[in-house]
Amino acid sequence: MENISEKLAPIRKGLLEFVILKIVAGDKVYVADMLKLLGPTEFATQEGTLYPLLSKLRREELVDYEWQESDAGPPRKYYKLTPKGRTQLSTLNDYWKDLNRTLADFGN
Amino acid sequence: MQKVVNISLNGIAYQLEEPGYNQLRSYLERAEARLKDSPDRNEVMADLEQAVGEKCRAVLGPHKTVVSTGEVERIIQEMGPVESADPEAGNANADAAGTASSAPLPPPRKRLFQIREGAMWMGVCNGIAAYLNVDVTWVRIAFILLTIFSSGLWFVLYLVLMFVVPVANTPEDRAAAFGMPFSTEELINRAKKNFEEFGQQYRWRREWRRQQRHWNRQFRHMNEQLRVATAHAGPVMSQSGRVAMGVFAVIAALVSAVLFVALILALFSLVTTHTLFGWTLPYGIPMWLGVVALLMVYGALSAPLKMVRHGGPQANGYHPGWSALHGVMWVGFAALLIWVAYTFVPGVREVLDSLMWAANLTVTTFTETIA
Repeated sequence: MENISEKLAPIRKGLLEFVILKIVAGDKVYVADMLKLLGPTEFATQEGTLYPLLSKLRREELVDYEWQESDAGPPRKYYKLTPKGRTQLSTLNDYWKDLNRTLADFGN
Repeated sequence: MQKVVNISLNGIAYQLEEPGYNQLRSYLERAEARLKDSPDRNEVMADLEQAVGEKCRAVLGPHKTVVSTGEVERIIQEMGPVESADPEAGNANADAAGTASSAPLPPPRKRLFQIREGAMWMGVCNGIAAYLNVDVTWVRIAFILLTIFSSGLWFVLYLVLMFVVPVANTPEDRAAAFGMPFSTEELINRAKKNFEEFGQQYRWRREWRRQQRHWNRQFRHMNEQLRVATAHAGPVMSQSGRVAMGVFAVIAALVSAVLFVALILALFSLVTTHTLFGWTLPYGIPMWLGVVALLMVYGALSAPLKMVRHGGPQANGYHPGWSALHGVMWVGFAALLIWVAYTFVPGVREVLDSLMWAANLTVTTFTETIA
């Protein structure tokens, strides 16, 4: 099992972007909450990975953030999906479904 | 008891225990290095700082104001290694996503500084001693020996280090024994910058003058005290001691004069023929560097002599005779080293022989001119 998890690490890494888009598609999210959400899953990750990824997504105009005051410290960035991100997400969703179908069809 | 360092993360101040501060600093430096090709670098760095700040805040309370080293370690573990999200940034991060949480941090690297406090000269040896965690005396002796056995080449290395190695100006610097990015470019830039500063401010010259004034003051003060003491409480120094000191002073004056003549000759030889009495400078060392090295060697050799003549620089509270003894010991030590080098290293022998020859020639010419 450990072996397989290691083998598929690049796939999970590639899928992380997709997962993030899915998460921010709902309500506005704070990074700490994203990490909490991802923690128990196969996509568990850390700030060191997530912040650079979010900045890249923002540069590609797929997500955006707004500042929100917080009672415990300085204002925080809450991320949300942009319209462009929404289009991208539905393309990715379709692609993922195709991929699943292809995988399922093999060997039958 | 732990020393605490104040830091600001995204505009908010935190207090960290010093080792923890060092670890955090090297973590953020590594993060910045990883992101150096990323257009989002500044933003991600600010995000990371804020995240660290938030984690720090979580462990602090009304009765706990300092983040401990262990807590900083845990925070860094939680943050995980920073990796650029752009594939074109081209670092080998492929395996990081899966194994990030378990990957231990690489051990922090020590950092080499010049430490001016308690330095004999510029503090290079001092810094190396701190870096290697050995007593500075050993480093100094090693430097002197290596200088002699490499017929002076090693001293040039000292000069290079002086310009290349950063000076520990703040306590943080002195404590920061971690992760220096050691790229060639940075090295060259730092050398350039240090050299410019060195030239612009004449810092060492000013320092030297200041030091000399200080010594002179001390010496006058001591003389005064000695005079008063002799007048009121009888002789402080034994008669033989005073005679010995006088003899030493005369010898020291003679040796200084010879040294000075040798310096002038050597400078002349270096400038006109680019050789030191037949010994060519090593390939790649420009003439000016040779001149500088020569002046510094002269300075190093003549300083203890001066001590003997003037009764010594240190000695706050010591007897001037003691300082003279100190100087004599230094001269003796240097003489011993030179003798050892002369006996065992052919190159040194050549240089010294030609020096003797040049001195002879000068004396002959001098007497002939007079006669």
